[in-house]
Amino acid sequence: MEKEIVTLKEKLNVVGKPKRRVDAKEKVIGKALYVDDLRFPGMLYGKVKRSIYPRARIRVIDTSKAKALKGVVAVLTAKDIPGKNMVPIIVEDMPLLAEREVRYIGEALALVAASSKRTAEEALKLIKVDYEPLTPVTSPIDALKNTSPKIYGENNIVISYKLRKGDVESGFREADVIIEREYRTGYQEHVYLEPQGIIAVPGPNGSMVIYGSLQCPHYVQKAVSYVTGIGMNKVRVVQVETGGGFGGKEDVPSWVAGYTAVLAYRTNKPVKLIYDREEDILSTSKRHPAIIKYRTGAKKTGELTAVEVKYILDAGAYATLSIPVLWRGTVHAVGPYKCPNIKVDSLAVATNKVPCGAFRGFGTPQVIFAHESQMDLLAEEIGMDPIDLRLKNALEEGDQTATGQVLRESVGLKETIRRAAELSNWHRKRREYSLLKGVKRRGIGISTVFYGVSLGAAGKHLDKAASLVHVFPDGSVVVFQSLTEIGQGQRTVIAQIASESLGVKFEDVYVQQADTSIVPDSGPTVASRGTLMPGMAVIDACKRIKKRLAAVAAEMLNTTPENLVFENGEVYNVYKPGKGMLFKEVVKEAYNRRVNLGAEGWFEAPFTSFNPETGQGEPYFVYSYATHIAEVEVDVETGKVDVLKVTAVHDSGKIINPATASGQVEGGILQGLGYALMEELQEKDGYILNPNLTDYLIPTSMDAPEIEVSFVEARYSKGPFGAKGIGEPSIMPTAAAILNAVSHAIGVRVFSLPATPEKIYWTIKGSGRYT
Amino acid sequence: MYINRVNTKILPVEFKYFAPKTVSEAASILNRYGEEVRILAGGTDLLVKVKQRLIEPKYILNVKGIEELRFIEDRSGEIGVGAATKLSELVGSEIIKEKLPVLHEAAEAVGSVQIRNMGTIGGNLCNASPASDLAPPLLVLNTSVKAYSSSGERVIPLEKFFLGPGETVLKPDELLVEIKIPCPPEGTGMSFLKVARTSMDLAKANVAVAIKLDGNTVKLCRIAMGSVAPTPIRLFQTEKILLGSEFTDGKIERAVQTASEEIKPITDIRSTAEYRREVSKVLVRRALKKAYERVKEGEING
Repeated sequence: MEKEIVTLKEKLNVVGKPKRRVDAKEKVIGKALYVDDLRFPGMLYGKVKRSIYPRARIRVIDTSKAKALKGVVAVLTAKDIPGKNMVPIIVEDMPLLAEREVRYIGEALALVAASSKRTAEEALKLIKVDYEPLTPVTSPIDALKNTSPKIYGENNIVISYKLRKGDVESGFREADVIIEREYRTGYQEHVYLEPQGIIAVPGPNGSMVIYGSLQCPHYVQKAVSYVTGIGMNKVRVVQVETGGGFGGKEDVPSWVAGYTAVLAYRTNKPVKLIYDREEDILSTSKRHPAIIKYRTGAKKTGELTAVEVKYILDAGAYATLSIPVLWRGTVHAVGPYKCPNIKVDSLAVATNKVPCGAFRGFGTPQVIFAHESQMDLLAEEIGMDPIDLRLKNALEEGDQTATGQVLRESVGLKETIRRAAELSNWHRKRREYSLLKGVKRRGIGISTVFYGVSLGAAGKHLDKAASLVHVFPDGSVVVFQSLTEIGQGQRTVIAQIASESLGVKFEDVYVQQADTSIVPDSGPTVASRGTLMPGMAVIDACKRIKKRLAAVAAEMLNTTPENLVFENGEVYNVYKPGKGMLFKEVVKEAYNRRVNLGAEGWFEAPFTSFNPETGQGEPYFVYSYATHIAEVEVDVETGKVDVLKVTAVHDSGKIINPATASGQVEGGILQGLGYALMEELQEKDGYILNPNLTDYLIPTSMDAPEIEVSFVEARYSKGPFGAKGIGEPSIMPTAAAILNAVSHAIGVRVFSLPATPEKIYWTIKGSGRYT
Repeated sequence: MYINRVNTKILPVEFKYFAPKTVSEAASILNRYGEEVRILAGGTDLLVKVKQRLIEPKYILNVKGIEELRFIEDRSGEIGVGAATKLSELVGSEIIKEKLPVLHEAAEAVGSVQIRNMGTIGGNLCNASPASDLAPPLLVLNTSVKAYSSSGERVIPLEKFFLGPGETVLKPDELLVEIKIPCPPEGTGMSFLKVARTSMDLAKANVAVAIKLDGNTVKLCRIAMGSVAPTPIRLFQTEKILLGSEFTDGKIERAVQTASEEIKPITDIRSTAEYRREVSKVLVRRALKKAYERVKEGEING
């Protein structure tokens, strides 16, 4: 009997269904309000005066002429900041406004608030900065030289990590084959559709409300409190509709809001600050450029015996998020493979360039490009099919990762590889494409990855989530949680989880946008944690309410609470289906009996650990897995690549919404395609040469390949309905799969990203093939 | 909190805006304000530049509302196209598709649907971008353009129209009104090819070819390229290699070599000079072969 009930309750009505995005209609018809759509009485327009040198001493900032301009209300420099001149991120090294020295082009020096945007822009021109230019350091290799000027700490190293397992030297001695190569990757700009934007509104009793386009409201709350000196209890951050983030709105809004809040504080007026695209590209974070030296040892039969990695990130002028980005990259440096002997050394190095930060994948796409290229080189060297080599080394349940973590559950990796091979007709195409002659050559390539879901041991103090759920007398439900909808479908997925948990209709659940005054600090919306963490907190709250309702319903239906099923807005006795009541009838009765119909939910991330000396431990509590197989056609006379198809198989545990999950994967693939082939931020001596979308190119719908998505649902026992995370794994394998396919097509390999037509052309030319 | 109905970011400069309905009205505005006027004939280049404040025009003259500038006429032996004809109208025109298929192909290669719905043929030419996709095919078609001003009209061969990036021979009071395209002689084979960074991007290099044969002897040969010199150019030296001789692989290779010496590519944000030179060879070779194939197809299809 017991068993039968469990089966019934496991039947899912809303979770696992492709529910339409709750925010889709308003966004499609243009009704949704973004930050620039909002206006407040008396609102001023903010602008930021920025450095034009990569490194210079500031002698004087003369604001007198700007202040005298009609319509200008405030011109502020570092000394006018009411609180600390510091943006709190992980370490405190970055001032809100540079005071004595500027460290990158685009660094903020002064702020203007004026009655119109145009006046604010005019005022910027009137601020005179007297600089003493200093020699900039713009490459991490230069920065590491003894002779380099010291621009960060004693040695220009922002952070370093090491990971040690077994003994690599003996591992290489055991190897029949050793592959050693160096890889380089470039910047990637997020190009979220909506640039950065914040409105700060001073309120009564010295309070301040921040409306903004952002991922992490609790970060912004802390930063605003820091720079204004206002207590966190009087700073309220409300996220408005946000036009994309991809990590670019993780830390950056903390300083955009900092500027805006300081202006609002000093003028006592609402202030709006919206970045132009150029300003956004010049001054906000990007994916770190990287240098990866990779050495892989293996047996003739394919088993990895040793992996040694040196991973260097170009951090830019301040630490911002380089610390966790490098950590994640270090932990993932070996890929989803078993290997007994591992040595990883990683460094994030300061340069006089815009600080790099979070970007979907967070320090992993760079090392994935390296380890997946290495796997193909190894396969070639020992004459093994790339799929077979990966299957031979791929992690499965009971195996140990590079950090010595034993994977106890939810490891769908091998199935992603097998299914991707099958769906893409790998073996047939691999053979047929190899035989092609002529100008257009085709190739097929694979890349496979794992991804530690949520913040892991490095961010464990932040890894928690809260929710607040209210059921109203009409049977409708409101859910508050403070992870953000940034285009990924988060609110829809949370509504599905709440609806399934309470057994109410999906349409009867409304999920509010994040507001720091309502929900306790739930950490950031990053690390593919937007489903798992708040989902568990929402289930927790729903369970509490359901328990109270069940007590009432059991009485009404003359049974015990254990026999009740809450489903699709109805409540019934499992032994008497069809003779139940409506959910709202139960709610009404409970309401009249003065039952508390609101509850708070809470979830703390499961155990994680990390030993800083050895890198060993359980850095993440669970992993998602993914395999992408890309097919390309390369014009060997011009180097132009057309990506024909990407087959993507993901294990992200139970998929709450297959439509939004597929959307994530498709978007990730396109972003990964741009990273692989097109997106090239050109920088010279600290100057970005193409800070606009005419010259920095991202893929358009016309560049999109055919995409086939499939899910392996290896459920995770501590996730909501078995879910893990999908956002970042979506992009992680793509670039490496495309580059492996290009290499299969042309018979030579490109060792740096992006693989532009020119780079491919010269690689072919240099190889002496096709002459 | 109110909904913001004040646009805060499209164009950061103030200007006076004219939207005349006739060519003579437009001409008198140009006559009055001369160099201070920028003509809006699409906006896909102008508005981007204004937005980035690369230019801050005092007056903007929108010619897209002038109906008499929007036409495609078959005048037996010549196709006349109004300067404000949209690129999407060129793409959709049966006359262009049938009589000037190479122009159809080139127009289709410009930007995206949205860009083609905004941009016009006159705007494309007057913008004088070295990377114009329309210029090479129009050059090999021996196109002329008609300029109009309050003091009269003149016809200018397209070959003489471009002076440098963003510069044409038009005087400040002149308005481009018509593009006059002679139909190529019966049996001419033509082709257009382009290499760009993404599907929507400007060309790293592009090429148009027109050839006609007598037997296998080249009787007509015109080749034009974009993005490989300060203006779109005809490759006269390369044409001479082929003109009057047999169309053979050897000749093609000599032509390709000459083309790579005749062009003057530069390194910029979109490409390096070296790559442009290399890829130009590929484009010229492929375009010649494609044009040749079309000649042969034409012979078969009669």
